[in-house]
Amino acid sequence: MPTLVGIFDTPGGVAAAVTRLKGRGFDKLEVYSPAPFDEIEQAVDPKPSKVRLFTLAGGLTGVVTGYALTIWMSLNWPIVIGGKPYASIPPYTVIAFELTILFGGIFTLLGLLAVGRLPKVKLDPGYSARFSAEEFGVVVEVSDRDVAEVDGLLRANAAKEVSLVAA
Amino acid sequence: MTPPPAESVAAMIRPTPLPPDSPTNRDVMRVFMERPGLGWLLLVGICLGGLGGGATVWIYQIYKGLGIAGYSHPVFWGAYIVTFVFWVGIAHAGTLISAILYLFRAKWRNAINRSAEAMTIFAVFTAQLFLGIHVGRIWKAYFILPYPNQRALWVNFKSPLLWDTFAISTYTLTSLIFLYVGLIPDLAIARDRTTGWRKALYGALSLGWQGSSRQWKAHNRTTLHLSGLATPLVLSVHSVVSWDFAMSIVPTWHSTIFAPYFVAGAIFSGFAMVLTVMIPVRRIFGLEHIITNYHFENMTRFLLLTSTIVAYAYGVEFFIAWYSGVEPEQTSFYMRAFGKYWLASWIMMVCNGVFPQLFWFKKLRTHIPTIFVISTLINIGMWFERYVIIIEGLSNEYDPAVWGVYTPNLYELMIVAGSFSFFSILFLIFLKLFPVIPISEVKELIIHDRAHAHGSHAEVH
Repeated sequence: MPTLVGIFDTPGGVAAAVTRLKGRGFDKLEVYSPAPFDEIEQAVDPKPSKVRLFTLAGGLTGVVTGYALTIWMSLNWPIVIGGKPYASIPPYTVIAFELTILFGGIFTLLGLLAVGRLPKVKLDPGYSARFSAEEFGVVVEVSDRDVAEVDGLLRANAAKEVSLVAA
Repeated sequence: MTPPPAESVAAMIRPTPLPPDSPTNRDVMRVFMERPGLGWLLLVGICLGGLGGGATVWIYQIYKGLGIAGYSHPVFWGAYIVTFVFWVGIAHAGTLISAILYLFRAKWRNAINRSAEAMTIFAVFTAQLFLGIHVGRIWKAYFILPYPNQRALWVNFKSPLLWDTFAISTYTLTSLIFLYVGLIPDLAIARDRTTGWRKALYGALSLGWQGSSRQWKAHNRTTLHLSGLATPLVLSVHSVVSWDFAMSIVPTWHSTIFAPYFVAGAIFSGFAMVLTVMIPVRRIFGLEHIITNYHFENMTRFLLLTSTIVAYAYGVEFFIAWYSGVEPEQTSFYMRAFGKYWLASWIMMVCNGVFPQLFWFKKLRTHIPTIFVISTLINIGMWFERYVIIIEGLSNEYDPAVWGVYTPNLYELMIVAGSFSFFSILFLIFLKLFPVIPISEVKELIIHDRAHAHGSHAEVH
């Protein structure tokens, strides 16, 4: 299938083009941008990112680990202090708190990798170093008969160049 | 002589096409792509000297024992712990700028957050060195970790020193993740524009980042969540460090004000260190149009605020000592101001409480040499704050019969100097290897402003 790359100068232009393309049913598209922009995110996929589930899972794992670790270890090696309980919750809260943050942070990083599909060994054929400068790219996979229509749509929505990529 | 074929002439005339670029990329990449200058090499040389001195002393101390340090009864937490707390404090600016100011949507943080995050990491590394230096028998340092062992012996989780282990390790790892996540898009920019070993390095570290909308969305979420996690973390770390002191019964230490007092002091000293380092860096690398006086002025406002909090805490400590009616407490605070350590105390109070108050004047907030001088004085003052708290507190405990005086000896001072060298070397290497300004974040602002300028332009016509 041919792949078309439209080059844009503004996030607004990208968002408008993406909305039109999706409206016409061209869903196989990818947007590259030098920085994150809300309008692009809204146009491409307005659903909240799944990274938050990773953070939640990490935080919960951390707090459970923190209390479990400290309580079990104090019971396993009792330190007798004047008849007080071996496991005391207030000081262990410090450990549980720190582990909540630690596991939450590590899981969030894993979430970024999983949701962002990283690491990637080979860059996409549609990607270009222009998108890490200051330009935006909309890459659309289309069937042969739609090339002309998509090309027209991109140009009509402020794409300054449109080219075909050899897939 | 036969003329060369036309094609090769054309190739000679036409330069090889450069990768597409933007002014922001060029400005920031110049900092780490240019060959190191004489000044950089000279600084690295000086720091290597300092580091060599410190390392030699440490090796000698491991061989000979902690006895070579200037500890004398009753002071057995000396310059090492002072400098440890100092570096942990310095480490607080980075996460404050990246996390808390991110949550408050303070856009001006963009120009300085990368350098502050890097300083955070290096300051924590430096602080951790002191745990090794201070324990004496370094080969038993792993006893602090809860590891499974044949004696089925576990650590005592009720000890503040153990909380400290967890807090500092968590802080190191979380800050490292924060710095790295922010670096990924910038490393991809560098990957697209370099060759040779640099391309291999940046290519591997950028993990194949392409700035697709899916990746940016995940990246935004990640930054938000890491900020949410790091904000309570940054407040907890120095609180836990302060509890190392406050949980004991030493007069002047056993106080509930310690956690907020330490956190404010940490932010204060961290911002001062960022200013002390970034003012010369901005000048040397010509980054005045990215890190503007506006950024520095905002940071001086933070210095003013935190200086006032710290000065208030100094005052409250004296007041509560008098008001409590507890004699050891009163005596210890009297000795702080007028005893053997009066000079250190007054350096602390003047550098931290008085000089930063000059920032009430806008003229001084925007005068770069003044900012540089005051931020350096704050760094000195904050080192002395920890010196006063630790050394004076231990010197004048309950029974006058066990009072004593401590002065750091040459070995300890060499290790302290070595720690400054260690921090500086790491930062100098970072300057020449990674983008010291978050390129993507700056570009986000530039493109955003440009789009809005275009928009309003169109409306006018």
